[in-house]
Amino acid sequence: MAYGIISFGGYVPPIRLARSAIFEAVGWCSPGLKGLAAGHRSVGNWDEDSLTMAVEAGRDCLGGLATDVQQVALASTTLPFADRSNSGVVADALQLTEFAGTEDVGGSRRAATSVLSRLARGQGGNTLLIGSDCRDAKPGSTQEMSYGHGAAALLVGEGDPCAVFLGAASVHDDLVDQYRSADDDFDYALEERWARDEGYSKIVPRAVAAALERANLAASDIDHIVLHGSTGAARAVAKATGLDAKKFADSLAGSVGDCGVAQAMMMLTNVLASAGVGEKILVIGFGQGADAVIIETQGAISQVQKGRGLAKYLEQTRETDKYTFFLSIRQQIEMDYGIRGERDNRTALSTAFRKRYDITAMMGGRCTKCNTLQFPRSILCVNCGAKNTQEPESLSAEIGRVKSFTEDWLAFAPCPPYIYGNVEFKDGANIMLEFTDFDAGQVQVGDEIRLVFRVKDYDNRRNYRRYFWKPAPLLGDAA
Amino acid sequence: MAKGIKDKVAIIGMGCTRFGERWDCGPEELMNESFAEAIADAGIEKEDIEMAWLGLYSQEHSAGKSGLPLSVGLRLPNIPVTRVENMCATGTEALRGAAYAVAAGACDMAMALGVEKLKDTGYGGLPERSKGTFDDLWLPNQSAPGSFAQLASAYINKHKKDLSELKRAMAHVSVKSHANGALNEKAHLRREITEDQALNAPMIANPLGLYDCCGVSDGSACAIVTSVEKAKEMGFKDFVTIKAMQLAPSNGFELQNTGWDGSYLHTTRVASERAYKEAGITKPREEVNMMEVHDCFSVTELVVMEDLHIAEEGNAINDILDGTFDRDGKVPCQVDGGLKCFGHPIGASGLRMAYEMYSQLLGRSGERQIENPKIGLTHNLGGQPNRNVASVSIFGLNGA
Repeated sequence: MAYGIISFGGYVPPIRLARSAIFEAVGWCSPGLKGLAAGHRSVGNWDEDSLTMAVEAGRDCLGGLATDVQQVALASTTLPFADRSNSGVVADALQLTEFAGTEDVGGSRRAATSVLSRLARGQGGNTLLIGSDCRDAKPGSTQEMSYGHGAAALLVGEGDPCAVFLGAASVHDDLVDQYRSADDDFDYALEERWARDEGYSKIVPRAVAAALERANLAASDIDHIVLHGSTGAARAVAKATGLDAKKFADSLAGSVGDCGVAQAMMMLTNVLASAGVGEKILVIGFGQGADAVIIETQGAISQVQKGRGLAKYLEQTRETDKYTFFLSIRQQIEMDYGIRGERDNRTALSTAFRKRYDITAMMGGRCTKCNTLQFPRSILCVNCGAKNTQEPESLSAEIGRVKSFTEDWLAFAPCPPYIYGNVEFKDGANIMLEFTDFDAGQVQVGDEIRLVFRVKDYDNRRNYRRYFWKPAPLLGDAA
Repeated sequence: MAKGIKDKVAIIGMGCTRFGERWDCGPEELMNESFAEAIADAGIEKEDIEMAWLGLYSQEHSAGKSGLPLSVGLRLPNIPVTRVENMCATGTEALRGAAYAVAAGACDMAMALGVEKLKDTGYGGLPERSKGTFDDLWLPNQSAPGSFAQLASAYINKHKKDLSELKRAMAHVSVKSHANGALNEKAHLRREITEDQALNAPMIANPLGLYDCCGVSDGSACAIVTSVEKAKEMGFKDFVTIKAMQLAPSNGFELQNTGWDGSYLHTTRVASERAYKEAGITKPREEVNMMEVHDCFSVTELVVMEDLHIAEEGNAINDILDGTFDRDGKVPCQVDGGLKCFGHPIGASGLRMAYEMYSQLLGRSGERQIENPKIGLTHNLGGQPNRNVASVSIFGLNGA
């Protein structure tokens, strides 16, 4: 048994907006953005937020493991609820035990690396650390171009780690290069050159030096540098620290964008997914200070790598060049969906509480008399009628098969057409479900689907949202 | 062993409003209109009616809950009025209540009245509604066309048909109903359409285009029922009796179990088999002379032909394209224009279907009269294919 990173996982939403489409739409007022108008950025679908992305990254990280998670730390600056445990919903969706501690961590772009730095320095129970951010930006802003949406997760604790901690340090320093007030939708950012010269060049080196000293290593010993920052920031850090500029990891800027709290975690996940044994990785978070964490991969890395990480999500894309579609699914413009869109989605919270495992963990029931699986779980078995015989069994990890479906242009959907249908699962279970991430013409009877945790409905009158599982396309062979 | 209600209950008067966008009418006007026709037809006074059943579904959008809208709207003399609501079978359920009261001998004369005012919602299609606090948490917020459209994907998959074949038969269903509706002054949609129009219409819920969907309208229909003995006493000679009324709701099987393949309507099969038994019918295709089925969507009518055991399983497309269900075909279907042309004021539809059977059996259907019908069948399907309420009723001339 050793302490370290037991597993890792990542997630990038499939929608990718061509940055050229942003420029085409906003270039008339912001001609200076032309230089950024290359590649794509990831965009969370209308039913994705930092919470749902965290669930997906957490599933990727925990898949196939038997580890008992004792703590969930959900780091983000964009959690949907200010007073409701977001990490508690994630814990239920991941079917962690009721004794798993849950904490929501925010406050800066380095919320995730700060927790990682703390975990590196002091052993606790098994902690699932998830970084997830879904930052929106003002139309026509630099951030609209450069931001992306994504998440990543690390399981840290005792076991057979794929990487161990060699040293870590954190420095806090209130350089406000960008900020978002608690009641604001968008970030307010100052010129990047200032952050580069006064922040990356002066704050980061202090954290890096302390971490290297604690690890008893020199800058030249580091094989990979994961830095949350631009290429300009990376050059500045290399110059100030003596780190090798060629060893900075892919920032994913071209295909995903800057995912805020999740960014350093996602880049680390990406490095871990292809690292060999004995490689030293320096992870640097930045934002009103800096975190530096040095880890070294272990023999278990090749076992953990199988299928895990961002690659499969980076390959599975739905590219779009529709700027108004992007604004609409991010709720930045309100399309006229007619009176049907006025539907009242009030949630009866006492019902939702009684049925919390049915909904959040997609807990069905398996009849112990006739072995029929069913959702929702009920008093009487749908097949044999036996009473109180159903043992809870989640269907969230099951592969389903489309029995029938439609593409509905009448019913209200924030991303028309509204696709839904009957889906069959193993041992007799059939459920009618709302699909997501499919385009019109993509679904066929007989197709296999996987389930993803998404926003089911928004209640805009009461500022509430509810979640459920939806069929989505299978991930590619990389999975 | 109970024998059912065959030939125990006579329908001695019926009324039906013009269905349509009755912007100048509320439920009160619609109820009074169908009621006035029904009692005039029966030759009775309001005071002769001892019990009443009101079929009304979307009460929030029109008349309000309880039996009060009927009692107040018609100024009934404080007789018992029960409001029933069982999705799209609501109108038929009102009739079943009234018929059972008469058959049981609880009263001599009862009334069933169905009404729905849909066009106060401000948008097309049926009103948005909650499915209950738990189901809203997980079931899709589906529309009616989207629910039924799924029959198409499962049907062609099961029977190895081309979508284009199915679409042609669906188009034929709608072309036929429009041709019938054009002859009916009470229908909402009274224009004939062509197969091309149906095939090239805007998509509503794939593969259902605009003309695959029934209209949305306001309307009311009413029936006065009494015992066969009483009908004879009153001097009726050739009158219509109820041969069977059966209802089969889902129990979760279709929605929750893979035993259902999505291509047929389980409850319609159950209800029709029970109804044929109650009516003593053994060869439905030969013995049923006409039908009004729940053609909320063209594909529903197509599939229902098999589930009612009128077409052989997998053969509905051929039967339809052969004209079997056209007005001059072997088993005419939707002779009045169906839901397709009447629209679907939910509480009224089942009674509107009964009205057409009643009129045809009595030879009063004018231009669209079928030659000497003896037995007619009505069918309602409420809900969606994977969770629904199906009713099958059989009417005929007394003694048939």
